[in-house]
Amino acid sequence: MSYYRNLSIAQKQIAWAWGFLAIPVVFYALIRFYPTGNAIVLAFQDWNLLGDRTWAGLDNFDKLVADPVFWIVFKNTFVYLLLGTPVSLLIAFAIAFHLDRVRFMHGFIRALYFLPFLTSAVAMAWVWRWFYQPVPIGLFNNFLSTLGIPQISFLNSTTNALPAILAPAIWAGLGFQIIIFMAGLRSIPQTYYEAARIDGVSGWTVLTEITLPLLKPTMVFLVVFSSIGFLRIFDHVFNMTTNNPGGPLNSTKPMVLMIYDTAFNGYDMGYAAAQTVVLFTVLLIVSLLQLFLLRSR
Amino acid sequence: MASVALQNLVKFYGKTQVLHGIDLTVADGEFIVLVGPSGCGKSTSLRIISGLEGATSGDVMIGERVVNNLEPKERDIAMVFQNYAIYPHMSVRRNIGFGLRTAKMSKADKTARVDEVARILSMTELLDRKPDQLSGGQRQRVAIGRAMVRDPAVFLFDEPLSNLDAQLRTQMRLEIKKLHQRVGNTIIFVTHDQVEAMTMADRIVIMKEGRIQQVGTPQEVFHLPANLFVARFIGAPEMNILKGHWRDGLVFLDGVAPFKSDVSSLLKSQPVLVGVRPDHLTVGGESPLFAGTVNVLEPLGSETLVYVTVNGTEVIAKASGRAPPAVGDVVSLSASAEDMHLFDETSGQRIT
Repeated sequence: MSYYRNLSIAQKQIAWAWGFLAIPVVFYALIRFYPTGNAIVLAFQDWNLLGDRTWAGLDNFDKLVADPVFWIVFKNTFVYLLLGTPVSLLIAFAIAFHLDRVRFMHGFIRALYFLPFLTSAVAMAWVWRWFYQPVPIGLFNNFLSTLGIPQISFLNSTTNALPAILAPAIWAGLGFQIIIFMAGLRSIPQTYYEAARIDGVSGWTVLTEITLPLLKPTMVFLVVFSSIGFLRIFDHVFNMTTNNPGGPLNSTKPMVLMIYDTAFNGYDMGYAAAQTVVLFTVLLIVSLLQLFLLRSR
Repeated sequence: MASVALQNLVKFYGKTQVLHGIDLTVADGEFIVLVGPSGCGKSTSLRIISGLEGATSGDVMIGERVVNNLEPKERDIAMVFQNYAIYPHMSVRRNIGFGLRTAKMSKADKTARVDEVARILSMTELLDRKPDQLSGGQRQRVAIGRAMVRDPAVFLFDEPLSNLDAQLRTQMRLEIKKLHQRVGNTIIFVTHDQVEAMTMADRIVIMKEGRIQQVGTPQEVFHLPANLFVARFIGAPEMNILKGHWRDGLVFLDGVAPFKSDVSSLLKSQPVLVGVRPDHLTVGGESPLFAGTVNVLEPLGSETLVYVTVNGTEVIAKASGRAPPAVGDVVSLSASAEDMHLFDETSGQRIT
């Protein structure tokens, strides 16, 4: 104990800090960083889950570049990202902006919007799958037929399937985005709006020159957060196309689903790990790019 | 330039009445200060004049127009807020120019106008800075600049100095007063600080619980307070209030020789409250009123505040800064009759 007593205050604080940090550090090292490193190594190896791991060099990456399915999947992933993020943020902002002014049953309406976020993605995907079925089962097609509009094949069409899956995915995340947007809107001092009212500027000017610039930190967070979400989309796709995951004809298959397929149906662990490394790199680049583009000057 | 008139202004928030019929006329070019403790309705009155809030009943007139149903922008006013309300993401130039966005002026004219305002407020070299690179006083000036740039008929200030430190507040107080003397627009200024009110106003409006207590020049409200509330609110330290009795032209205080008071509106005999400001109650002097024991001294440099117990009541008096009495001394206190204020014991109104 005398050793501890002779430490300076700063040294004691460091000792305590590391004491508290020890458990998370061990946890992260064992559960996060070790498997991550292992996966990166595995990307340069061949392994069928049972046999030995053999060195393969860049073979897995060569195979990936030459694989036509990978390029379809790569494109699909970016379609999810480039459609999902802006559409979801626009809808979420529009709802939050107007909900902020609603006093009548405000809490109830907010809860309704937040509810999908609490719902299991699997359950939601199956309900939406049912919505999309042809007559006489599917809700949407039944509705269309009563109006006399021809049937739309949602999940069986290579062009319609991806947006049809994206819709519930956007809806699921909306509640969270609305709550964050509302918190951001609430943090803007009321006097800014009062001053603008006295200056007599238009509502559009207030929105574009005051509200949106002051919401920038909120938007940076949501753009990065939801982009990562859409790049990692999996459960909605998997559950809504369960007979032929990622189908029809790979038209809805995102990267995570391809990784899952390669690893647990093809047992080609090295190849799956190479895909993981690519996904990781894409996530990293997209996130850093967004942070760079949206940085405050 | 315009006069402002409030006619029987009443405001309810739900069932709570916060303004009980405010009548006030502000002359063109006048610097008027609304002052009172928090919750007295001064800010609400200002917000109703600005149009940010509507009155429950009553009229607001700016110039010759009744503006009750006009949007703030149509009222030809500008407002400076307590937290300045300058936009953190815009440069000083854009902040000041924001008020001109809807003005029908050429771009060159707008730039020239912003430059002119910046020159008047001596912050030309700050125009390209962002608000977070400015000190509190400079931000305050940007907020004033933003109001000035539109050259409104009436300036409204909502406690604009409250967020500044004491020294800066004194300085900005003077700057605003000089600005008023220079541009001459009508100013309605809200504060809870009676010193600000006294130093800046042409006329002071003292409010309490949604009612106007007194309207008058700084001299009037200080020397002829309309009631006990005004007497206590204006002036620091607070006026001493002693219980007394009036009988046939003489005021009797406990243990004190009666003194003459030629008020006319009194009955033959009635209890009164006698007020005398510490500034007018001096230690020693020619006509000693009462004597007491010194409890505490507060030296202020040029003078010393002396807390004296007279018949169990503590009163504050002033002594010279150089030769104050000592604690425990028995001193005599004197005041001239014209500085003694009489108030009705029940209503608190001034007796004249």
